[in-house]
Amino acid sequence: MALSGMRGLSVFISEIRGCQNKEQERLRVDKELGNIRTRFKNEKGLTPYEKKKYVWKMLYIFMLGYDVDFGHMEAVSLISAPKYPEKQVGYLVTSCLLNENHDFLRLAINTIRNDIIGRNETFQCLALTLVGNIGGREFAESLAPDVQKLLISSSCRPLVKKKAALCLLRLFRKNPDVVNVDGWSDRMAQLLDERNLGVLTSSMSLFVSLVSNNHEAYWSCLPKCVKVLEILARNQDVPQEYTYYGIPSPWLQVKTMRALQYFPTIEDPNTRRALFEVLQRVLMGTDVVKNVNKNNASHAVLFEALALVMHLDAEKEMMSQCVALLGKFIAVREPNIRYLGLENMTRMLMVTDVQEIIKRHQAQIITSLKDPDISIRRRALDLLYAMCDVSNAKDIVEELLQYLGTAEFTMREELALKAAILAEKFAPDLSWYVDVILQLIDKAGDFVSDDIWFRVVQFVTNNEDLQPYAALKAREYLDKPAIHETMMKVSAYLLGEYSHLLSRRPGCSPKEIFGIIHEKLPTVSTPTISILLSSYAKILMHSQPPDPELQNQIWAIFSKYETSIDAEIQQRAVEYFALSKKGAALIDILAEMPKFPERESSLIKRAEDTEADTAELSAIKSRAQQQASNALVVTDQQPANHPLQVTQLAMVKIPSINEENNHVDQEVTQTNGSLGEGEPQNGDIFGDLLSPLAIEGPPGVSGTETLSEDGALALAPIGEQENAVKPIVDIAEIFHALCVKDSGVLYEDPYVQIGIKAEWRGHQGRLVLFLGNKTTSSLDSVQAVILSPSHLKLELSSVPEVIPPRAQVQCPLEVVNLRPSRDVAVLDFSYKFGTSLVDNKLRLPAVLNKFFQPITLSAEEFFPQWRTLAAPPLKLQEVVRGVRPMSLGEMANLLNSLKLIVSPGLDPNANNLVASTTFYSESTRSMLCLVRIETDPADRTQLRMTVASGDPTLTFELKELIKEQLISIPTASRPPVHQQPQPTTQPISSSDPGALLAGLL
Amino acid sequence: MIRAVIVINDQGKPRLVKFYDYQPVEKQQEIIRNIYGVLCSRAENVSNFVQDSTFGPDTRLVYKTFATLYFIVIFDDSENELAILDLMQVFVETLDKCFGNVCELDIVFNFNKVHTILDEIILGGQVVEMSSSEVVKALDDITRLEKNPNSIVRVPKSISGWQGR
Repeated sequence: MALSGMRGLSVFISEIRGCQNKEQERLRVDKELGNIRTRFKNEKGLTPYEKKKYVWKMLYIFMLGYDVDFGHMEAVSLISAPKYPEKQVGYLVTSCLLNENHDFLRLAINTIRNDIIGRNETFQCLALTLVGNIGGREFAESLAPDVQKLLISSSCRPLVKKKAALCLLRLFRKNPDVVNVDGWSDRMAQLLDERNLGVLTSSMSLFVSLVSNNHEAYWSCLPKCVKVLEILARNQDVPQEYTYYGIPSPWLQVKTMRALQYFPTIEDPNTRRALFEVLQRVLMGTDVVKNVNKNNASHAVLFEALALVMHLDAEKEMMSQCVALLGKFIAVREPNIRYLGLENMTRMLMVTDVQEIIKRHQAQIITSLKDPDISIRRRALDLLYAMCDVSNAKDIVEELLQYLGTAEFTMREELALKAAILAEKFAPDLSWYVDVILQLIDKAGDFVSDDIWFRVVQFVTNNEDLQPYAALKAREYLDKPAIHETMMKVSAYLLGEYSHLLSRRPGCSPKEIFGIIHEKLPTVSTPTISILLSSYAKILMHSQPPDPELQNQIWAIFSKYETSIDAEIQQRAVEYFALSKKGAALIDILAEMPKFPERESSLIKRAEDTEADTAELSAIKSRAQQQASNALVVTDQQPANHPLQVTQLAMVKIPSINEENNHVDQEVTQTNGSLGEGEPQNGDIFGDLLSPLAIEGPPGVSGTETLSEDGALALAPIGEQENAVKPIVDIAEIFHALCVKDSGVLYEDPYVQIGIKAEWRGHQGRLVLFLGNKTTSSLDSVQAVILSPSHLKLELSSVPEVIPPRAQVQCPLEVVNLRPSRDVAVLDFSYKFGTSLVDNKLRLPAVLNKFFQPITLSAEEFFPQWRTLAAPPLKLQEVVRGVRPMSLGEMANLLNSLKLIVSPGLDPNANNLVASTTFYSESTRSMLCLVRIETDPADRTQLRMTVASGDPTLTFELKELIKEQLISIPTASRPPVHQQPQPTTQPISSSDPGALLAGLL
Repeated sequence: MIRAVIVINDQGKPRLVKFYDYQPVEKQQEIIRNIYGVLCSRAENVSNFVQDSTFGPDTRLVYKTFATLYFIVIFDDSENELAILDLMQVFVETLDKCFGNVCELDIVFNFNKVHTILDEIILGGQVVEMSSSEVVKALDDITRLEKNPNSIVRVPKSISGWQGR
């Protein structure tokens, strides 16, 4: 090719090359841009040659990385130049400098169209190239018919035709409607009959794009593709110029096989047979040769054939042939083939059951982990991660640990994470798991995220057998002269909790443990100091009877940190110091951490986030789930790849259930400061490990009155709940709250939230249930059935069976009260999550007091009625004992909240309360109810209650209702559910701080 | 789809930059810098593949060194890596035929020609022609037109050998 150089351009390029540094280059470029700008301003004086030259210079400057924000018009205007050289420059530079939305392009659209439909083939080529490169939607709409015409015209030369095919592809991508599916499937089939391999190559690319969008329309093309492959594979009439290193157009072979992968299957037996023959030939007939280019080409075809075989899920024999080939590839010298061999093995694991065969190559794969090429090492790591199961986890994880020492920094975090996940998933025994994680921290502490060590703490906490072992290991690591800070955190935590289990061993007395931890304190950062303080408090608690010397030492440290500048540390120091003076109470308050609720591994979640190929990972995981070792107590209960787990985690800590609950939560946090400002509320319960002992006992510890009041009302939820999905709110508590208010959340778990809103009028009520699907997938088999007591007539409008993702449906519920009763209506709500059915029986707050209407009576109205209702069964009296301690004011509030309105001053005795209300039901109509409570200032735990109404049942029921509210019920000390959803392995005994506290009160 | 074809030299200087997905100039430069950073630290006799997330998780990068130049192609997962290597080889062979044993300077001073050549091989991120002899033929026509803009290239169908049925 002769070069028609441009002197001015060459000089400019030379000068740029001559620039000593970037600054000089910039100056030269700026000068040139200034020059071009002035020349363009006075366009009249420019010859076409000059214009061309300047536009080229602009492109060169653009390539160097400078913004060229002018001259676009000049470039575009060259498109309409009459002569080829200018036109060519115009088209080429425009398609490099402008994007598809540039306004100037719109101006040129007519010129471009004229070139496309014109008779000059070279102009056609230029125009098609530009449109194919940067044509946008507008081009698609106005040019597609012309381009299609060119593509199917019999008089159009291949040179133009192949560009028309790719131009149409671009337009189709910009607007799929431009290709009419019905008309095009036949035309596409014809195009695939093309014998010119250049045109066929372009057409095949177009075809790939069309079938990837909608394969259904193109079934008729499938045999044509197989035919193309047959021709190429048999090397029939393939012109010399299309054989590449002796191989008939490898590019076209690859594209054709790619196109076939968009069809789900090949049903026609003849076509299938023909294709398999070709594939067989490719699989068998490819050898590694010396010529690199030939090797590349033949293996390009081979790998594509492998992909197609995997896609078609061919016969077992062929599949094992593929695995054998891959096994060969991962051991060859040629690095590209090793790379692709590893990658395809990983892919193969996903589609078929070849785990066992691939395991035979484990040694070779491990060798690849030491390959000089990082790309190959990454693929090896992916493959090892994918092929790991219970049988080989030990080997693989140990290899990964070993590799961690030498791996480059860019890979370490991923490596550490993968090793941790595999260890967790496939641990043959838990002590091994602990070993692995501690080694991980030891070797690559900087790359071990908090998630990883939180997880190990969780395992140890939940597995008693593991505790002495873990403590011992932690103790051993502390002997090392220099240890990573993360190791310091884990060790301090574990020894704080469990070092007493070691106390008989040499070097493990509380004093020695304290000493070895404390000597590291000067080297650690602030967050770690907090953990250390907690662990001192725990050591102190475990050393009973207290060793005065140790006690003094620790107290000294606490009092030293009482003035720490860090609020977190200061608070811990103050609180621990105060607590540790409380003697025996300390034991309860600092008791061992309860077991953690079962939850999804946040590691796996994170791996998902970091993993680019999520499909790959989830496939691996679903397989892993089938094989997961059951050695671990904490396992994924849900389909692990479900995105909802995030919400679940997030909900654990911040239950925004209803105002009252929130109130309680805040109260708790404020009193013991578990959520200091600046504490990240990341919603992960592990975050709590870093906070003071707030969660080390159930929240009852903090013993505020607010809490005990609410707690006292807590009742066990109705029905056995053995669902896999646990509510994240305390259903009983919520029910009680709803009994005295008209809207709020009735139930919530990680996937579903049920809200309720009620209106009451006389003996009728209207409730609306808000069934909310919190997930991003739809909720199936939703059922809501009302189990109605005899005194209520309940009518629930139909509940849809499916709740769409993130949707909320409203189900009105009509209530009619027939007669007085304290029985409760129950909503049996169930839905299907994955394969498990979640079923909850929820009490509905359509309770007796909802049918009250407040009424205030004067003395003149009250006493005549009171006297009329003189004796049982209309007037009942009872002495109630075991009343919750509350002031008279609190009691009045309680009655008012039940719509029993207290009339102050009505009773001459200031220690008595008199209240009244109107009750509505169908049988009783409206009926006045009167209540009198006489308290004993000397003994607040007992009182005398008199209730009167015109209906004996009503009187009785009302009396019982008030009694329920006044008495503290024994289950009151149950901590809220979200703190203790695990099976009751922990007896609620005197060691339970909550119970203890309740007893004290 | 091919997202970009980039040629840089062993100093990281761009010699040919062609994006098939429009990128603003700063982004282009950032991509080039990142790629250079990765490539210059790679040893010899390693694979031609680099994990790349320039355009998102599904993109791949294949490179090949010729003397002082890195030829780089970025593409998505609808392409076959080894076939892309073939494509690069075709491109370089074509350059060789056009310039006669091509070297960096040829590409520097004839970057406009190189663009023209590339346009005959890749169009809109798709391969338009894999036969370097076909590409050279097309380029010969273009050169003739550049020299004598009035001549019209007309190849009689009977002898073209490209029978379009």
